[in-house]
Amino acid sequence: MALNSVQVGPPPSITHEDIDRAHDRQRVMWARQQGGAFSRIRLLWLLVGPGILVMLGENDGPSMLSYAATGARFGIGFFIPFIILTFVMAIIVQEMTVRLGAATHRGHAELIFERYGPFWGWFSMLDLLIGNFLTLITEFIAVRAGLGFFGVPPWAAVLIAITILLLALLTHRYWTWERVTLAAALFNLVFIPVALLTHPDWGGVGRALLTWQPFPREGLTSGTLIIVLANIGATVTPWMLFFQQSAIVDKGLTRRDISFGRLDTVLGAALAALAAVAMVLCTTPLFLHGMSTANYQAAEFAQALRPIIGKLGASLFALGIVEAGIVASITISISSAYAFGEVARRPHSLNLPLTEGKSFYAVLLLLAAAAGGLVLIPGLPLVYVVLIVNVIAVLAMPPALVFLYMLVNDRELMGALVSPRWANLLAGAVVVVLTSAGILFGMSVIAPHVFATLGGR
Amino acid sequence: MMRGKDQQLQPETAELVTTVLEREQLASAAKTAVPRRRLSPTQLAVLWSLRIYVLFMIAVVVYQVWAATAQQ
Repeated sequence: MALNSVQVGPPPSITHEDIDRAHDRQRVMWARQQGGAFSRIRLLWLLVGPGILVMLGENDGPSMLSYAATGARFGIGFFIPFIILTFVMAIIVQEMTVRLGAATHRGHAELIFERYGPFWGWFSMLDLLIGNFLTLITEFIAVRAGLGFFGVPPWAAVLIAITILLLALLTHRYWTWERVTLAAALFNLVFIPVALLTHPDWGGVGRALLTWQPFPREGLTSGTLIIVLANIGATVTPWMLFFQQSAIVDKGLTRRDISFGRLDTVLGAALAALAAVAMVLCTTPLFLHGMSTANYQAAEFAQALRPIIGKLGASLFALGIVEAGIVASITISISSAYAFGEVARRPHSLNLPLTEGKSFYAVLLLLAAAAGGLVLIPGLPLVYVVLIVNVIAVLAMPPALVFLYMLVNDRELMGALVSPRWANLLAGAVVVVLTSAGILFGMSVIAPHVFATLGGR
Repeated sequence: MMRGKDQQLQPETAELVTTVLEREQLASAAKTAVPRRRLSPTQLAVLWSLRIYVLFMIAVVVYQVWAATAQQ
């Protein structure tokens, strides 16, 4: 297979993108040559990024609001271990993109398009672009709602988010962009100190982790299922596949770096799971006080929590939502731009100067600007949009996973890195869980009487 | 062989790139298409089933949104 074999031919053309990537890889090479424990730490520092970014990026505005809604509606119980399980599913799925990216040096969209043809390629692209655009809208909803707590008008909130997105891109360098965005993404952990301010019932947390109890009092209703789907959609979504694989290619990871890519993914999932559980704990007091939070946005959650966690806590909560929306708007719009460039065969790298990557940066900024503009439409049912976007993400995931499954089992592409049987079984289990959750939700809406006979209400 | 402003690059830079990067990592490698693979009937059946599943479920979500809006 051409992708993995040594090729002999004319000298390759070298671009600005190649030179930047070569400098990054040179540092990895030097670190590897040094040897010893310090070298391993340095290698980890140099090679982490896409995994942490994708996981913390997926702890985005709608995800954090879904976790907030979960805590406010159900408190400590079933959903805490369930959220951790969703991150385990995310690790299983994202690990495959690490291997695929490092083995082929091709983006996800590019591989589907070229390996299975334009018909399926465009279908996948369409799923991704529609899903990403809807999600981007919700990121701006989160930014708007979070900054609304500080009295910032919606138009200014959208402008701030787009300006930050633009500033992150001005580096024209993958490495710098990655480090700046990572630093911003780590602010997601702000929900941990906020959760501590609510003095959580740690005994209850421990019992929930061990027993998955208490189960929601209302039982298995379509409302509960929406929260289940929203929580899955908050962790496992199509854009993550496309983003992490493209970012791994852009960063220049190779087969030798896969163990670090895996560690990066697990580290990202652990940090993101901590932040997600912390968010559930943050809003649990609202459940304990029996408050109705059905139509709450970030600002309302922060306001409602203010008597419990104080002004500082509420402000940090709102800022956390803003950060979640901004970081995700950066990563999601970049995932769209990567996929567009891969399919349209246009240059697509964060190492590209503006002059060489016009279409890459234009797609990215146009999508962000359009999504930001839509959020300014008055009367949009924002909270419902947020939950539904996560639900749609879950529904679109099985087809994306099947392509991923086929690609990582393609011996011509993967060589020795083809998925082992246990990895296939785990991936199959994730597809079954996602599809079953979707079908149960469908039944609860269309045929509630059938749903009731299965134990639902 | 370089293009645009990169033509002024030093030979050692070009050597660094070709030494440090795998050939498939170069931007120019993306111009070589990955060979097409025919989908088996089973794979096609799975893909079409999932496609129908997605379209059907999106209709369900739209109905759910409509029903929720009508209730308010």
